Amino acid sequence: MIKFHPSPEQLTAFAEGTLSPVESLMVSAHCDMCSRCETRVADEVERAALEFDEPATSSHTEDQIYKSMFASITQVPADEATYLSPKAAPSAIELDGRKFELPRTLRRYASSMGNWSGLVGRLWQAPVDLGEAGVAHFIYMGRGGSVPEHTHRGCEYTLVLSGEFCDGLNTYDSGDFIYMNGEHTHAPHSDDTEGCLVFSIVDQPLHFTSGIARLLNPFSHLFFR
Amino acid sequence: MLVGIPLDQSNNTVKPKECASEMSAYIVEVAETRCKRSFAKVFNYFAPRLRSYALKQMGNEALAMELVQDTMSNVWQKAHLFNAEKGSPSTWIFTIARNIRFDMLRKLQNRKEDVCSDDLWPILCEQTADANEASLDQQVTLEQIGYMFESLPVKQKAVIEAIYIDGKSQQEVADELTIPLGTVKSRTRLALQRLKGMLHDND
Ligand SMILES: [Zn+2]
Repeated sequence: MIKFHPSPEQLTAFAEGTLSPVESLMVSAHCDMCSRCETRVADEVERAALEFDEPATSSHTEDQIYKSMFASITQVPADEATYLSPKAAPSAIELDGRKFELPRTLRRYASSMGNWSGLVGRLWQAPVDLGEAGVAHFIYMGRGGSVPEHTHRGCEYTLVLSGEFCDGLNTYDSGDFIYMNGEHTHAPHSDDTEGCLVFSIVDQPLHFTSGIARLLNPFSHLFFR
Repeated sequence: MLVGIPLDQSNNTVKPKECASEMSAYIVEVAETRCKRSFAKVFNYFAPRLRSYALKQMGNEALAMELVQDTMSNVWQKAHLFNAEKGSPSTWIFTIARNIRFDMLRKLQNRKEDVCSDDLWPILCEQTADANEASLDQQVTLEQIGYMFESLPVKQKAVIEAIYIDGKSQQEVADELTIPLGTVKSRTRLALQRLKGMLHDND
């Protein structure tokens, strides 16, 4: 069951289109998996649309602009291309012979993601280039897999796509939306027999805090950007 | 407004609900017959509302008008994608405007290909992508990291251990080992290069 949701403020800002691109991506993917938040966003859209529907006046100058705008818009024919039925997009990614269904928002990354690479502790990751917005990763923790204990210099958003993991603070299930920052230190690991797949965005490299894993710090920008 | 709250009726000659179904009918008419007169009704109703919304959001007259134009172009060209059962015309047009604004803002900030509104709210299109297959590569274990560390030359190892495991500063290490700070720095750099090389060999 989903226990961790975006905040009401995040849902409202997402509905209004004012949330940052990275947060929007994570909230959108969460809503694909969470009907509760999906409904709340739809309600917020309705509310914003009502506000938008309030009467508005226009001046003579604006009316002149509208006139020429109307003429130029209606010169263009209808967009026939959109009548074509869309090609079926792949809805899953494959890892080690297993298929993972992706939420709609993340499906386009099924084709643009980089290759899987192995990391410490039964952990695999594949990068997703979000351009200026940063690098996201699909991260898979095999059964018993773990990420060494770390803290965050920036923000970390994680969405659980399949399976369960815990991090010493909580247990997270499919659909859970997790936000971590510099105040949190955690060591994620999965005991799920099926392993656990998450989608994660970090805006600064992680900082490992314990034992030999601290050796990873100089390289954490390579692994866990 | 769709709920029957008796708003200030004297200012509103048309009740919102009637207005919504009227606008719906016009949009359907545009989709089916490309009727410019129907589009004019929709345009006249929504253009000032769009400008008012855009001005609040962007705070700039020229950008606001650009948003009005882009939104109304989409309504004209993609009227067939409107579905009255899914929502009111104002909700549909608001979401088109919201998406355009989201993408305009990204362009203004000169952000290249990152997250676009179609991914988040696929109102006017569908995404396509190709199948992707991947297999697992080898993984690096903490034991291997430990082994790599052990294989470093003794002097480099001492510096790396002090800095990255004990958490000392480079200056502290220099004082402790009574070597110049520059030497600590170069040993650290060489050791990291070496570890990095080993990690890549492991890929
Ligand atoms: Zn939710």
